Amino acid sequence: MKSFTFTIKDKNGLHARPAGVISATSKGFLAKITIKCKEKEADGKRLLSVMALGAKCGQALEFEIEGKDEEEALSALKSVCEEKLGNDI
Amino acid sequence: MTFKRRVYKGIGITGRKSSGRLHFINNKSIDSSDKTAINVGAELIKLENARKKAIENVWTIEKNAREKIGHSEAQIFEIHAMLLEDEDLNDAIENKIKGGKSVEKAINEASEEYASMLLDIGDEYLSARASDIRDIASQLINALCDNTKNSKKTDTEPYILVANDLTPSQTVMLDKEQILGFVTALGTPSSHTAILARAMNIPAIVGAGEIDKLYDGSFCLLDSLKGEIIINPTEEEIEEFNKEKDKQSKIAIEHERYLRSIMNKPAVTGSGHKIMIYANVGDVTEIEPALSNGCEGIGLLRSEFLYLSKSTYPTEAQLFSVYKDIAEKMDGRRVIIRTLDIGADKKADYFNLENEENPALGLRGIRLCLERTDVFKTQIRAILRASYYGRVAIMIPMICCEDEIIKTKELIEKCKAELRNESLMFDEKIEIGIMIETPASAIMSDRLSKHVNFFSVGTNDLAQYTLAVDRQNSKVSNLCEQNYEPILRLIEMSAKAIKKKGGWIGICGEMAADLSLTQSFASMGIDELSVSTPYLLGVRGKVSECK
Repeated sequence: MKSFTFTIKDKNGLHARPAGVISATSKGFLAKITIKCKEKEADGKRLLSVMALGAKCGQALEFEIEGKDEEEALSALKSVCEEKLGNDI
Repeated sequence: MTFKRRVYKGIGITGRKSSGRLHFINNKSIDSSDKTAINVGAELIKLENARKKAIENVWTIEKNAREKIGHSEAQIFEIHAMLLEDEDLNDAIENKIKGGKSVEKAINEASEEYASMLLDIGDEYLSARASDIRDIASQLINALCDNTKNSKKTDTEPYILVANDLTPSQTVMLDKEQILGFVTALGTPSSHTAILARAMNIPAIVGAGEIDKLYDGSFCLLDSLKGEIIINPTEEEIEEFNKEKDKQSKIAIEHERYLRSIMNKPAVTGSGHKIMIYANVGDVTEIEPALSNGCEGIGLLRSEFLYLSKSTYPTEAQLFSVYKDIAEKMDGRRVIIRTLDIGADKKADYFNLENEENPALGLRGIRLCLERTDVFKTQIRAILRASYYGRVAIMIPMICCEDEIIKTKELIEKCKAELRNESLMFDEKIEIGIMIETPASAIMSDRLSKHVNFFSVGTNDLAQYTLAVDRQNSKVSNLCEQNYEPILRLIEMSAKAIKKKGGWIGICGEMAADLSLTQSFASMGIDELSVSTPYLLGVRGKVSECK
């Protein structure tokens, strides 16, 4: 299993568009992708579930990735987070 | 219908006025009562077919939105398509069907559950997404009933639409011929519906609270600047309202014939001062109408359109071909191209701009261009090359100090040198000007004037920065309306400064079209007024009436 933590810098938090990109990216991999934020947990491949984390600016997303292509999934998700949520104010 | 006067207040969206009869639409028009015998298999097939059709419809709406109002506004519909494919939502609907509910009821219940879940998070942005869930639910149900035109009412006079909430897709599909404006009980200024209304320039008020159904069919005045709807207004209120609303249209009707007759004559005041009447243009398609309304040049070509409509940086060749086309169409008349004025409030995704707390005071206009010199140079080269084909001028936005002009001119010189090396043609004497739109630029205009051929006053930003009023904020935007004196003083200061150095000055903001100010501008010796096409004739007529 691979994991990484990403702290949201975008002031809008994890809103619809980045959540959409994260779930679309996740769907491209076989690995099971779980995202945790505070006490909530989401299936990374499911948009509503990711949106429902309600993750805000400054909160940490913990990604847990498990499966054959976890290596590739990890780097893809890392760069997506950086690009879509890494812009601070 | 009732004739009792009543006022509702909400949040105004476009700042426009409209009046007409109210027409209520009911979002929950589908009968979702439980049917007795449910065939689970058949309901699941109905759901699957509806889902496919709804996804198809969403992409049609997305295309429609992209063409009508632009890529970034259309992105929400991509999210809609993803939501329609979302497994959680679909599982929830299917489970309800398997539990013996009709497909309509299953969709309504499941989407309501997810909508309230998003509302419960207590985040304004995600709360607004609850309406997206409701939107896709109503699309699913429409697809189910093959009922895609639920909110349309035809063969009646245009009306003001009242709804509990409008979904983004309903907003985009509104027939602008039929709708005079809309009022919603729910919604916030940051909802997509509000954003779309703004982009489509529909007079609208959101968050007005529930309007009594008794008023269906009643006459009302909608003022989206004040965020106020007066239902069954008094005679005096109607008169006052119409007077304001007619100010502009009256001129158009009464004077149009006269104005057309002087369209091709120079606009000269009684004392012999000539003012050039130019047009503000944001797109190639606006050139023809501007010319046929007698514009003598383009005072402001907003060059952003070539950037905001794309998903990646336009190339020099693409920019050049459009600029050249415009320069040629204008046939020797001046074309002032304002260089890229993009910022955190008006951005294309591929610029990867950071969100800013205060976009109006942030990295925008020339500030951004001087950071992204590669992007800037591409545009400058394209403008220079187009200058060979007509009378092109460069105008730089958001200038605050001399240093910014000096740096920009250095870049322009660099580009000129490159073009000479590459044997590409351009106008060696191309005019360079700056926008006067920050108080600093007006105050320092004596120094700035040394560096440029002309000034052009952007009154919208100049007023916003000088009066400390955000014009988008309905609570204070009225403070901009009558407080002209500070702005006029800054313009006069700038006019004196540039004339002393032998340059000229124009005005390209909304104030240029305000006929109550034309005399003041003429007295200051303003050389050019640049307005959007509908105001061209009126301004020309007014100048010839000036002393």
